[in-house]
Amino acid sequence: MYAKLVFRNAKRSVKDYLVYIVTMTICVTLFYSFLSISSSYYNPDIGSAYDFTMLSDGMKMAVCMITLLLLFLIQFVNHYMLRRRQKEFAVQSIMGMEQRTIGRLFFAETLIMGIISILTGIFLGVFCSQFITAMLLTTYGKSYQLSWTLFPDTVLLTVSFFMLSFLIVGLQNTRTIQKTKIIDMLFADRENEPERKKSRWIFAAAILFELFTVWAFITGITKVLFYYDSRFAFPVRLMYFGNILFPAVTLAWSVLWVFRKKKWGFQKLLCGLLACSVLNALTAASVPALTNRYYLPLGNGMLRQYLLFVLMNLLFFICAFIYLASYSIITWKEKSLEHRYKEENLFFFGQILSKLKTTSKTMTLICTTLVLAIFLFIAAPILTGWASGYLDIHSMYDVQIFTKYNNVYDEKELPQDDYETVTDFLNEHDIETAYDCTFNLYLPRKKDFGRRIKYDFPIVAISLSDYNTLREMLGYEQISLGESEFTTQWKPIAAEEELNVFLKENITAETDMGILTLSSKSHYKEPIGETVYNSYTNVLYVFPDSICEKLLPVMRNRYITTTEKITYENALQLEKIFMAAYPEQAENKAAYDVRFSTLQMNSALVGNFILQASMIYGAVVLMVICLTVLSLQQLLDTGKYKYRFCVLRKLGVEETHIGKLILKQLGVWFGLPIAVAVAMAAVVTGYFTQTISAEISAYIGRTALFIQIGITIGILAILLICYFLSTWILFRRSVHL
Amino acid sequence: MNTILKLEHIQKYYGNKGNVTKAIKDISFSVEAGEFLGIMGASGSGKTTLLNCISTIDTVSAGHIFLEGTDVTEIKPKSLARFRRENLGFVFQDFNLLDTLTVSENIALALTINKTPAAHVEPRILDMAKKLNISDILSKYPYQVSGGQKQRCACARALINNPRLLLADEPTGALDSHSSQMLLSTIQSINEQLGATILMVTHDAFTASYASRILFLKDGEIFMELRKGSDSRNAFFDKILNVLTMIGGGQSHVC
Repeated sequence: MYAKLVFRNAKRSVKDYLVYIVTMTICVTLFYSFLSISSSYYNPDIGSAYDFTMLSDGMKMAVCMITLLLLFLIQFVNHYMLRRRQKEFAVQSIMGMEQRTIGRLFFAETLIMGIISILTGIFLGVFCSQFITAMLLTTYGKSYQLSWTLFPDTVLLTVSFFMLSFLIVGLQNTRTIQKTKIIDMLFADRENEPERKKSRWIFAAAILFELFTVWAFITGITKVLFYYDSRFAFPVRLMYFGNILFPAVTLAWSVLWVFRKKKWGFQKLLCGLLACSVLNALTAASVPALTNRYYLPLGNGMLRQYLLFVLMNLLFFICAFIYLASYSIITWKEKSLEHRYKEENLFFFGQILSKLKTTSKTMTLICTTLVLAIFLFIAAPILTGWASGYLDIHSMYDVQIFTKYNNVYDEKELPQDDYETVTDFLNEHDIETAYDCTFNLYLPRKKDFGRRIKYDFPIVAISLSDYNTLREMLGYEQISLGESEFTTQWKPIAAEEELNVFLKENITAETDMGILTLSSKSHYKEPIGETVYNSYTNVLYVFPDSICEKLLPVMRNRYITTTEKITYENALQLEKIFMAAYPEQAENKAAYDVRFSTLQMNSALVGNFILQASMIYGAVVLMVICLTVLSLQQLLDTGKYKYRFCVLRKLGVEETHIGKLILKQLGVWFGLPIAVAVAMAAVVTGYFTQTISAEISAYIGRTALFIQIGITIGILAILLICYFLSTWILFRRSVHL
Repeated sequence: MNTILKLEHIQKYYGNKGNVTKAIKDISFSVEAGEFLGIMGASGSGKTTLLNCISTIDTVSAGHIFLEGTDVTEIKPKSLARFRRENLGFVFQDFNLLDTLTVSENIALALTINKTPAAHVEPRILDMAKKLNISDILSKYPYQVSGGQKQRCACARALINNPRLLLADEPTGALDSHSSQMLLSTIQSINEQLGATILMVTHDAFTASYASRILFLKDGEIFMELRKGSDSRNAFFDKILNVLTMIGGGQSHVC
C-alpha cells in the first residue's frame, strides 16, 4: 500500500518538478562526463610525449569540489517540495499515519525522482563525455575519434556521490517532518508570507560591512603612515587619502544615523551605505591598478587585502541593492498615483512585492552566484589563453639549459661548462639534434657585476653570431650590425611605452670596450624564450662579436632543438641526471636549471585543461543552479498564482492582459537579478582585464579575447532563454488550467 | 419600473449525444431595477449554472439573456470581459480577495481595470468604504481582517463600478451566523439606499428571507415564486421554510 502511494505521488510530482529533474539530469550528465576522463579505464591516444595520470587526479578533485554546490540545489528543491506538500502531510497524520512514516514516504518519493535523474544523466553523460574527450584531444593537438564506452568506476562514483547527497538531504527532511506540529503543517500556506518571516540577515550584513569598513579605515591610516610620500603623482595621493576618507564617511554616516534612528528608518541608512560601498570599492580597486601603473612598492599581501575590500564592498552592494529594490518599488508605488492606479498595475506590484520581500536573501545569493559564474566563464578562456601563450614563449626549444648568477660574488665561480652530460645522454638514446647552441651572456661593464638590488639588475648582452643562431633555430631572419653598433631584443610582455622611453634615453650603450651607438633597427620583439634575459629585466643587448669577446661572461646557456620530440620518460630521466650534476641552488655558486618542452607542455597542458574544464564546469553548474532556483521559485507557487489570476479573470480582465501580466512578472523576476549580475560581472571583468591588459595583449590578443567573450555571452543567453521560455510556458499552462 | 434583466427560455445541456444532462430545462423570468431577487434550490438544481450563464462565464445552449436590452448571448467572446467588468458586479462565497493587496487596493483594482482616472480612485474608495463601514480596515491585508469584513470588502469591490446588476453567489456561505446577519443587513441597505439591483443565489432560508422575491428551482425548472410583499421578514422566512418542506429535504437547510 505504501509503495503504491509512493509511486503514485512520485508520478504526480514528476510534472510539478520537471524543471528540478531536468536540472538534476544536466548536473549528473556534466558530472559524469567531466569525471569520465579520470576513469582508470579511460585511455585516449595522446602520444608518448604526454603523461596522463597527473590529469585524472586533478580532475577528480576539481569536479567533486564543484559538485558539492549541487547539495545546495538538492536541499533547496526538497525544502520547497516539503513546504508545498505540508498540508497533505497534515491530513495524513490526522488520519493516523505516523509522522515518521510520512517522512519516510516523502524520502522514498524524492529518491525515486533522484534515481530517474541519475539514470538519465549517466545515459546522457556517455554521449556528453565525447565532447570532453574532443576538448581534451584538441588541447593536446590530436585528432579524435568517437568511442562509446561506459566506465564502471565513474558510474560508481557518480551514483554514490548523488545517492549520498540525496540521503543527507532526505534524512534532514524526514527529521523536519517529524518535528513539525500538525497544526503548523495544516495552516502552512494559509496566509501571506511577509509578516510571518521577517528575516534579519540584512542587519547582519550591515553590521559585517561596518566592521570591514573599520578595518579598511585603520588599514588606510597605517598605509599612509608607513608608505606615503608627498612626491607621489596626484592619482596616487588621491588613492591614499581616498582610502581613509571614504571609509570615514561611511562610519560618520552610520554614527549620524544612530542619533537620528527614529526619524530616518533603516532604509535610509542602507541607501547611504549603498552609495558609500561604491566609493569604497572604487578607491580600494584603484590600489592594485595604480600599483601596476606607478610601480608602487606595495607588497602582494596588501594588494590581496585591498582586493578583499573590493570584494566585500561589491557583495554588500548587491545585498543592499536587492533589499532596497523592493522598497524603491513601494516608494514608487506610493508616490506616483498615475502608475499605481493604471489598469492592472496594482496587481502587478502586489505580485512582485510579496515575492521580493520574502526572497531578497535568496535573490542576493543568486545574484552573487551569477556574477561568479559569468566571471568564471569569461576568465576561463583568458587565463588558459594566457597560460598557453606563456607556454609558447617558454618552451621554444626542446631543451633549455640556463643559469643565474644572482648568488655568485666571485668571478671565478661563474659558469663555464659546456654541459657534456646532456650531449652524452642524447647520444646514448639516439636522439638527433637539429640545432645545438651553447652561448654566453655578457655584462657590458664589469663594474656592474655587484649590482644585485631587485630593480637595479644590469642588462646583459649577447653576441651577434649567437643571437643569429637563436633566430635561425626559431625560423626568424638574420640580422646584421655595423662596427660599433648595438641593438636590443625585448620580452613580449614589455609595454610599448617602456620600450620607447628606454630607446629614447639609451641611444648609446657604455661598455668596457668603448661606447656603442644604437643601430637604425633599434629593437626586435619576436619571442626567443624567457631565459636569455637577466633577472628582473625585460631587454637584452645585442653587441658585435668583437666587442663581446672582451667582456665578462656571467651566464652560460645551451639551447637544443631535436628532430623528433623527446619522450616523456627520457625527459624525466635527463632532468634527474642534470639536476644531480648541476645543482639548482648552492651557496655562492651559479644556479643551473633545465627545461624540456615535453615536460613543460605536459604540466602546462594538464594544468590548463583542468583549469579550463573545471572553470567552465563550475560556471555552467552555477548558472544552471541559479536559473533553476529562479524558475522554481515562480513555478512552485503557481497554485497561489492560479487563484490570483482566476480572481482577475472574474473581475473582467481580458486574456491578453493576463498574458502580458505573466510576461511582465517573469520579466522582472528573471530580469532583476540577471541585470544586476551582468552589470556587476561587467565591472569585475572589465577591472580584471584592465589590470592584466599587458598580459592579454602579449599572450592572447584583443580580437581573440572579444571572440571568447562573445561566445561566453552567447552560451549564457541560450541558457537563459531556455530557462525563461520553459518557465513561461509551464507558468502559463498552470495558470490557465 | 423598467426591466434590467430578462431571461427567455434558457436551456443548458452538458455532455454529448448519448448522454445529455439537462442542467437547465427551460427558465424564463425578469428582474426589475432596484429589485433584490433570491434564487433558491437544493444542490444540483441548476442555480449555479444559471448564475454562470447570466454572468457570461458560461454560455447557454438555447434561449436569450437580455441585460438592459443587450443580448448577452450574442456578445463576441473577445468583448465579454469588457462587458462583464462594465455591467456586472460579483460577490463570491470565498471572497476572492487578493492576499497580496490591502483591502483598499483590492477595491481599487476593480476601478483601475475599468480605466478610471488615477485621481478619482481614492475618493471613490473612501466614499464606498464609508457606506459599507470598512473605513478603518482599508490599509489592512485580507488575512488580517475577519470573514465578515472580507465579504463587505468584496461587496465594496463589486459595487465600486456602479454595476447594472450585482450577482451574489452564496455570500454568507463562509460566514458565522452573526457575520451573516451583519452582511445581509449591509446588502439590504445597499439595495434600499443605493438602489442597486441584486441577484443572490443561496440555499439558506435565512439568507433568502432578506430578498424581496424568491425563485425556487428544482431540477432545472422554476418550481415556485414567492414575493415578500408587505410581510415581515419572520413571516417571509416561515413561508420559505414551508416551500422548502414542499420541495423536500428543506428542513435540513434551516440554520
